[in-house]
Amino acid sequence: MLNENTLLKFNNIHVEVEGKEVVKGISLEVKSGEKHAIMGPNGSGKSSLANALAGHPAYGITAGEAYLNGVNLLDMDATERARSGLFLAFQYPLAIPGVTVANFLRSAVKARFGEDSIEMRDFRKILKGKFELLQVDPSFATRYVNDGFSGGEKKRLEILQMAMLKPSMAILDETDSGLDIDALKIVSHGINSTLTGDNSILMVTHYQRILNYVNPDYVHVMMDGNIIRSGGPELAIQLEEEGYDWVKSETMEKVEA
Amino acid sequence: MKTATIKNYDKKFREKHSDEADWLYEHRREAWDSYVKSPLPDRVTHLWRYSKPENFLLPEAEMSLSGPAAERPEEKRNRIPLPDHYTAISRYDGDMNIRTAVNPALESKGIILRDLREAVAKGIPEVKGALGGLIGYGFGKFEALNSALWNRGIFLYIPNNTVLEKPVYLNRYQWESVSVSRLLIIIGANSEATIIDANSGNPHSSKLANNGVIETFVGDCSHLRYVHVQDFPDNSASYFTQRNQVGRDATSYSVFASLGSGISKYDVGTILNGKGAESRLFGLAFGNGKQNFDMHTVHHHKFGDTYSNLDHKVVLKDKANSAYTGLIRIEKDAENCEAYQENRNLLLNKGPKAESIPELEILTDQVRCSHGATMGPIDPEMIFYLKSRGVEYEQAVRMIVYGFMEPTFKLMPETLRDTVRQAVSRKLEG
Repeated sequence: MLNENTLLKFNNIHVEVEGKEVVKGISLEVKSGEKHAIMGPNGSGKSSLANALAGHPAYGITAGEAYLNGVNLLDMDATERARSGLFLAFQYPLAIPGVTVANFLRSAVKARFGEDSIEMRDFRKILKGKFELLQVDPSFATRYVNDGFSGGEKKRLEILQMAMLKPSMAILDETDSGLDIDALKIVSHGINSTLTGDNSILMVTHYQRILNYVNPDYVHVMMDGNIIRSGGPELAIQLEEEGYDWVKSETMEKVEA
Repeated sequence: MKTATIKNYDKKFREKHSDEADWLYEHRREAWDSYVKSPLPDRVTHLWRYSKPENFLLPEAEMSLSGPAAERPEEKRNRIPLPDHYTAISRYDGDMNIRTAVNPALESKGIILRDLREAVAKGIPEVKGALGGLIGYGFGKFEALNSALWNRGIFLYIPNNTVLEKPVYLNRYQWESVSVSRLLIIIGANSEATIIDANSGNPHSSKLANNGVIETFVGDCSHLRYVHVQDFPDNSASYFTQRNQVGRDATSYSVFASLGSGISKYDVGTILNGKGAESRLFGLAFGNGKQNFDMHTVHHHKFGDTYSNLDHKVVLKDKANSAYTGLIRIEKDAENCEAYQENRNLLLNKGPKAESIPELEILTDQVRCSHGATMGPIDPEMIFYLKSRGVEYEQAVRMIVYGFMEPTFKLMPETLRDTVRQAVSRKLEG
């Protein structure tokens, strides 16, 4: 049963990439306004889960069910999922040569909110504000999307897109990776400023660092395609101190006991 | 070719060209001889590896093509209205006449735009010296055919020290099923001009064939911007040869946008004919259905300290094909040249085929030269990225295709950019 303020809920999700199962039956419920973090070592399947939820065709969901605001997510393609309020901040954002950041964002805003949703003048004004928020030079508006951007610039642009598109459910795939401390603070500030109390985020991360700036309500540990442990923010700290081997061995003990 | 046709042609030819200047009559005759005597190009030669020569023969109609322009009073010739934003305009009409108009304010400066045949008849001295100077009947079989039979000719002359702020617009619309056209452009020294050459044809004709030659002379220190849009109906077979000779410290920007014709073969080139000359040649081809584009470009560095840049972009879908061959030739004495060539191909589905072959003939060591080619489908990750922002698949493809061409648009002079962008949009939006 779906709770009234359940935003994203998925049950027993299995994901296959090139014939190999990488997510092996994960269930999770994210309520409106909650911040969740999925932590895990490389290859645990957390990025595959993020891509599959966003509708990447190479990440096939072979079993399970997923709902966004009570609507079956798996009936929708990536375009429809985005229009329903789902957002994926990419781990490795793509360059789109020849398409300027401003044009890209205008197309995305129109796609999300409707063709006549925004006046050109207002769009420019809002965009200017978001550039300031993410401390991105305004000249980036006329640059081609991610073309020749540094890793940090790409991540800032992802969060800038999130701020423009106001998703109800944002999945942030290793948004912190490759960021130095200054950039991490800017990006985290950008993420926090998009939170209204009604929308939710699911952060996928390897390290605990970003969680110091964007404080999660729940932390889940993922390993070998499964969530093996869930808890509060203290779980992240414990992980950082003791490493993934600790939770792995502890889980093994439990299984053996 | 049957030798019998020579005799036959001779008789008809005399009748039809009795009013033409002797030198042109002789030129046509020699060209016809050359055409008849030369065999069809061998498919083994590189320029003909991707097109069948037979496709560009002009069957039967050949004989009836050539003929004098109808007599017409002066005022009739100038009857087309000239929009304020043009320097001059020409238009083909269904009665085989070419209407031209030069902005009255500029006519006194010596700018000439008129039917090439009239220009010959009037004895304009520049014509005789230039016609066939870059593309004569010895150039090739189909160029000989053109030299013998051209019936649609335009002559544009821009004197020295003349800067045209508004473009010259050539609207070349093919009404008849077969057209043999010739464009002769002479720009004096220290002048500047933008020429928009729009080529299209009657879509209701069962089949269109055309053979075009374009000769351009750009004087020292002059600046030419030339855009050629090929937008013939898909049932057309188009054969065009262009040579553009650029003088000392002169610059030339040329754009060839190939959108139409079922079968087309273009051989276009710029000759850098003086120190400091610079040429940028842009090609854009956008094909669908079963269109076949065969594009050959030439950058010929005859002098040192010259610069050339070739950028040819191809977008194909359905079962369209493209073959691109690009020659850079740098002469032995032409030191300190720079020559660049890039051909990129974007294939929108699995049906199309594209080939890209650079040809470098570099006879000196003191050069900077590079070439590159890419070929491939749209990256599905790019599509997913756009879709994940709510953009629909079809729009995502359009954005990526525009993006693919945008860097080329950006390099074009502003005066050419909009014309080409609009032509591409029309095709892309279908």
